[in-house]
Amino acid sequence: MRKLLLQLLLLLGAVAAVAAATLVPALQRPYLDAFYERFTTPPAASLVLGTSRAAQGIQPAVLRARLGQRFEGPWLNYAFTLYESPYGPAYVASVRRKLRPEARHGLFVVAVDPWALSSNQPRQPGTAPTFPEDNLMIGQLQQVSQKPNLGYLAHFLHQPFYRVLLHDTTSVERLHPDGWLEIVLPPPTTDTALLRQRVARKLVAYHTLVATSHLSAERLASLRQLIALLKPHGQVVVVRLPTGPAMVALENQYQPAFDQLMRQTTTALGVPYLDYLTQPYTTTDGNHLWRGAAHRFSQRLADDIARLPH
Amino acid sequence: MLFNSLHFLVFFPLVVGLYFGLPARWRAPLLLAASYYFYLSWRPIYGLLLAATTLLDYFSGVRMSRLATPAQRRPWLYLSLASNLGTLFVFKYFNFFTEAAVALAGLLHLPLAAPTLALALPVGVSFYTFQSVAYIVDVYQGKLEAEQNLGRFALFVAFWPQLVAGPIERGAQMLPQLRRTYGFDYGRVASGLRLMAWGMFKKVVLADRLAQMVTPIFDHPRQYQGLALLLAVAGFTIQIYTDFSGYTDLARGAARVLGYHLVLNFRQPYFAASVGDFWRRWHMSLSGWFRDYVYIPLGGNRRGPVRRYANLFTVFLLSGLWHGASWTFVAWGALHGLFLVTESLTAPARAALARGLGLAARPRLLHALGIATTLALVAYAWIFFRANSLADAWYISTHLFRGWGALTGHEAALTVARFLLAYPPEAAVTAAAGALLLAVDLRQELPALAARWGRPAAPVRWAGYLALLLAIVFLGFFNSTQFIYFQF
Repeated sequence: MRKLLLQLLLLLGAVAAVAAATLVPALQRPYLDAFYERFTTPPAASLVLGTSRAAQGIQPAVLRARLGQRFEGPWLNYAFTLYESPYGPAYVASVRRKLRPEARHGLFVVAVDPWALSSNQPRQPGTAPTFPEDNLMIGQLQQVSQKPNLGYLAHFLHQPFYRVLLHDTTSVERLHPDGWLEIVLPPPTTDTALLRQRVARKLVAYHTLVATSHLSAERLASLRQLIALLKPHGQVVVVRLPTGPAMVALENQYQPAFDQLMRQTTTALGVPYLDYLTQPYTTTDGNHLWRGAAHRFSQRLADDIARLPH
Repeated sequence: MLFNSLHFLVFFPLVVGLYFGLPARWRAPLLLAASYYFYLSWRPIYGLLLAATTLLDYFSGVRMSRLATPAQRRPWLYLSLASNLGTLFVFKYFNFFTEAAVALAGLLHLPLAAPTLALALPVGVSFYTFQSVAYIVDVYQGKLEAEQNLGRFALFVAFWPQLVAGPIERGAQMLPQLRRTYGFDYGRVASGLRLMAWGMFKKVVLADRLAQMVTPIFDHPRQYQGLALLLAVAGFTIQIYTDFSGYTDLARGAARVLGYHLVLNFRQPYFAASVGDFWRRWHMSLSGWFRDYVYIPLGGNRRGPVRRYANLFTVFLLSGLWHGASWTFVAWGALHGLFLVTESLTAPARAALARGLGLAARPRLLHALGIATTLALVAYAWIFFRANSLADAWYISTHLFRGWGALTGHEAALTVARFLLAYPPEAAVTAAAGALLLAVDLRQELPALAARWGRPAAPVRWAGYLALLLAIVFLGFFNSTQFIYFQF
């Protein structure tokens, strides 16, 4: 037994040595993937929350530059994707883990749209609702402020480690230290055919969602719970981001009363609601703001929040 | 608990360390506790289900062992079968059959409303249920002595390496092993660890890599045609093999470390020269189960050709249904049933054709043609196994060969590049890992080749082990991908 243990120790030691010598420096680089750094920063006092629209559309650095005197930091965009972070118990729990407990003057931008409050799980009367994201990264990752984040690296990194070593620079995604996800694409006006293709593909996916989803009372309850959780820590602002015209039409067709529902909900909870849905900003795919538009929109949002009563 | 998780990385050395560190009499209780911990880590409440069916099967077996005639034993057999198959029906098939009944009633304009059950499928239920059914039938038929020790029987049902996805063991094979104790044996433990490492390589480097390439296409097939669909089908053909055989290697390797021999489940299935041969090499423990407990009791090949073909088709229909309560799996099973019946019916004509074409004199070429044809048929059937619906499967089937005429070289290169995750080094990694898999399978398939290659010198072997582990760490995908067969 001793012989085998010694051999295993040498073999695994060699693997560990190679891994440590190569991966430790590689993990210090500023960009690993679209999510990792959000889980390595310390708990934040001001957060941007929502799905990929908010992840790509709101730059905390811009908000901080304008509102840094009024709200406390650190600032972080903690919005992920429709798949990972629709409003639900898992996302509320993850936000609770990421929130600096002692924060009292934070800013919380809660981005809403019908998709983030919908479910495609069949309704089963008399049974507990199911949330697919419970079994995904957002639901499973317990440590959200750890560097290096071993739980994430072991279970949720969507690429093998050799790509971390090669430092893939071909990816169009760039996650900034403030959590803003930049999609490095040229202005959509330069290649309209490609844009049309991306818009068409996105609309097909969302038409499928329309056919299979319904507005979820449980997700709406989670949104209320999230706002209640955040209010003692500072100012909560519920925001509906701008998007492409075809997507606006689709959303209005899917949930025509959504805006009214949000107004009622935010009024009941005593938080402001800012609706930018039909504002003309450029998108990369008819859904997400283009990076230049995201900068301008973040400035506009910061100005509007600055005008809100204290 | 997944074999490819951090949780298992702690669980396995701890169990093995305790196993060899404890006195022999404590080892079986340790394994039983570890098995239940392994199972409960998924959804604790279903541990009760496992325990309840275990108790019922144990008492049924013990009671039957004390009764002299089959007629006296029969009620206990029926009780146990009703409990096992009833559990399987309620958790796995209830909604499927009620939905089918409602749909049929709708077609006949009959008013029918049926309830649906919101129950999660217990992991491994199809596997441990079939293992228990085999045990109870063997005891009923007097082929196997009933196990009188409850702890040992519970370990037979719940033995953690094979609990959630097999191999489906037989009592006659497994129970005698559980009665013995095993000390530490360097060769056996090292061989078990090697098998585990190879299984892990197949899972995280090949299967999970291919899953990244294949899943987007199977999830949205209507966005693709021609080459992209063909790549997805070929990719899934390798993915399912490396995923399931990788799991089986991990299970067999872990059991071997502890001293137990689990049956072989795969024998280079893609080198099969006929569909019949494929089923003697693929998921062998399940094929054997269906042969012994369904095909032979139905009459096997003893009641004339018509009955034989009907039996064959029925077995494969049931095998499809065993894999999942969905029409796609039923279609997959039916296709294989059809292949086997056709293969059997056309055997004389094919032999005559081979003679006519002069292929009979060139057995190697004939064998290679058999392998290629079988692989193509099996790969085609996988479309139905993997597709999310019958409509998707039909779309893929009918669009596999569309659009090839208009495909330019540049577009073909772009499609392949996109399939390989749009990252150039992936082409090299995928090709190298695939070549290694092929070499290992060839070595096992061809004893002459194995003899020629021989056993490498120790430094080469250790360099190989190091390379394998480094490949797992650096080339593997670890984003918690479940083994495909865990869902069954």
